[in-house]
Amino acid sequence: MRLFFQLLIAGLSLGGVYALLSFSFSLIVSTTRILNIAHGVFFVWGAGVIAILSLHLKLPPLIALPILLLFFTGFGLLFYWGIVQVLLKKEPHHLLSGSVLATFGLALAMESALGTGWTSFIDPQPIFLLPVNLAPLELGGMDISSNRLIVLLLAGLFILGFHLLLKKTFFGRGARAMAQSMEGFLIIGLNPQRVAMLIIIVAILATILSGMLYILVIPIDAYAGLPLTLKAITIVVLAGVGSLPGTLAAGVLLGLAEVSASYFLGAIWSPVIGFSILFLVLLVRPTGLFGRVTI
Amino acid sequence: MKENRILLLSVCGVLVILAVLPHFLSSSMLMVFFLSFLWLVLAANYDILGGFLGYIHLAQGAFFGIGAYTATLLLNSPMIQTTGPFGLSLVSLIAIILSGLFAGIIAFPLFRLKGLYFAVTTLVLVFLLEALVVNLPDLTSGSYGAFVPRQYCKSTFTGYYLALLLAIISVGINYYLSHSERGLAFITIREDEEAAASIGLNVSRQKTIAYVLSSLPSAAAGIVFALNSGFIDPQIALGVERSLLPPLMAMLGGSGLVLGPVLGMIIIRAIDVVSFHYLHLPIPSMFFFGVVLMLVALFIPEGLLSSPWVRRASGALALKLRLRTEDAL
Repeated sequence: MRLFFQLLIAGLSLGGVYALLSFSFSLIVSTTRILNIAHGVFFVWGAGVIAILSLHLKLPPLIALPILLLFFTGFGLLFYWGIVQVLLKKEPHHLLSGSVLATFGLALAMESALGTGWTSFIDPQPIFLLPVNLAPLELGGMDISSNRLIVLLLAGLFILGFHLLLKKTFFGRGARAMAQSMEGFLIIGLNPQRVAMLIIIVAILATILSGMLYILVIPIDAYAGLPLTLKAITIVVLAGVGSLPGTLAAGVLLGLAEVSASYFLGAIWSPVIGFSILFLVLLVRPTGLFGRVTI
Repeated sequence: MKENRILLLSVCGVLVILAVLPHFLSSSMLMVFFLSFLWLVLAANYDILGGFLGYIHLAQGAFFGIGAYTATLLLNSPMIQTTGPFGLSLVSLIAIILSGLFAGIIAFPLFRLKGLYFAVTTLVLVFLLEALVVNLPDLTSGSYGAFVPRQYCKSTFTGYYLALLLAIISVGINYYLSHSERGLAFITIREDEEAAASIGLNVSRQKTIAYVLSSLPSAAAGIVFALNSGFIDPQIALGVERSLLPPLMAMLGGSGLVLGPVLGMIIIRAIDVVSFHYLHLPIPSMFFFGVVLMLVALFIPEGLLSSPWVRRASGALALKLRLRTEDAL
């Protein structure tokens, strides 16, 4: 029973982080049709930059967090102008292959820049972790990691914020309109470029926040970005593009599967679980991401 | 006809030069050429799928790794070692056949996917294979890597000719495809799969053939690599770089053209060798390749050989030497 609860909490908090990562990924895919292979690398960069800011520059969280958000807003603008805008000008057929290859290139460049920069200037081990050691919570005779609970809580809050942003604000309605029908969106008279830019920035900020939450509990390797993108793809394919409840459910499912796999089979098998699920899901559902859009 | 003769003569000239070259090269340059030929094999094989069939395949390195690992592990088994001199040929044959079988079997589920999903799933395949090799140390000796027994190792001199032979075969396959009905079938599938099926092409059969065809020389390249280096580990044999550079080379040169992967390989390898082996630039090579891939995908997705400015610059000659299937037919 005790084991069950600990695995449940661990799986849920991991799943919440995955859901946040995947939902921002699916927001970009559903609105701009760009499959961002570099998404997981953004996540790792978020983790790396916050680790530099708070561990090595010793900034308090209230200063480090705004710097982090500002840095990645600028980064999002660059990403939008440099890559997204160029891709969106291409024909649909070239947009797909171009987006995969261009963002794959970006992913490798960013990944090796972070890895090499970290190993040559900061630490020979390119691994990020924010060691916040809180006393474990005692609940009915069980020790439950407070870190994981906080991650679970924050991930839930961020996802709720995301939901409200999409459902209640003008920007969110524009984004949903864009995902549902580009023609309809253009008829309303919204500026697609501006909405796309905002979507990219919001999605990137959500991703780096999920990266920050992740390293509160689990250390992350500078080269873990591409496998994380594949996890996001797994979840989005399972859930359907743009569906927030579906993404949440699929994220939690993957989180639980990975946590139980690493407990029962050993930690080395947990990445294999994710890859195998994606492999099987794509084989069962070959139309994948663009099958239906519900946002 | 005149252009064809010029082309034939220049190809013969290049081959003669490459055949006598090892006698004049330093051992490090010999190594550079050897590895370049192996990269060319992967890039040309990738282009069967990426260029002719129109499927972005991010797992070309998987065949390389399967070939290298199967050969290395079999050569380590005592049963093979008792068979004497035939052991090596037998093992190579088994490794190549196994890789072809793998390709033939995995082609059925893989080719139900289209476009992006195909690309992503092949990327997953590479990660999955690497994770399996690392996680099954009893079989593969895991992340420590495996050694090829000394008596089977080949010198770089021998390796050069084996790799050159494989490169000629691979480019030859692409040349054959660009001048044959089989290649035309692949291109039809690339342009419109439903139309291809409607004119009576057995689409899934053609795709499986293309996949197996692209796996065989790549697996052989893996075997040659393992025999020369004497040691392989998951990163060397199955790393992302093995699967990423072939598409990059083909796209940079010009995907779907016979000379595209050749040109792309020469450019990428030249930059790689000069900047990282001689100048020792302080940036990681993956950073560099990532940036190049991004720029190529964004600005010259059709490749150098068919990009408008190269065509304009070199005028009629480039057009005539492009070796396009469309031209030949």
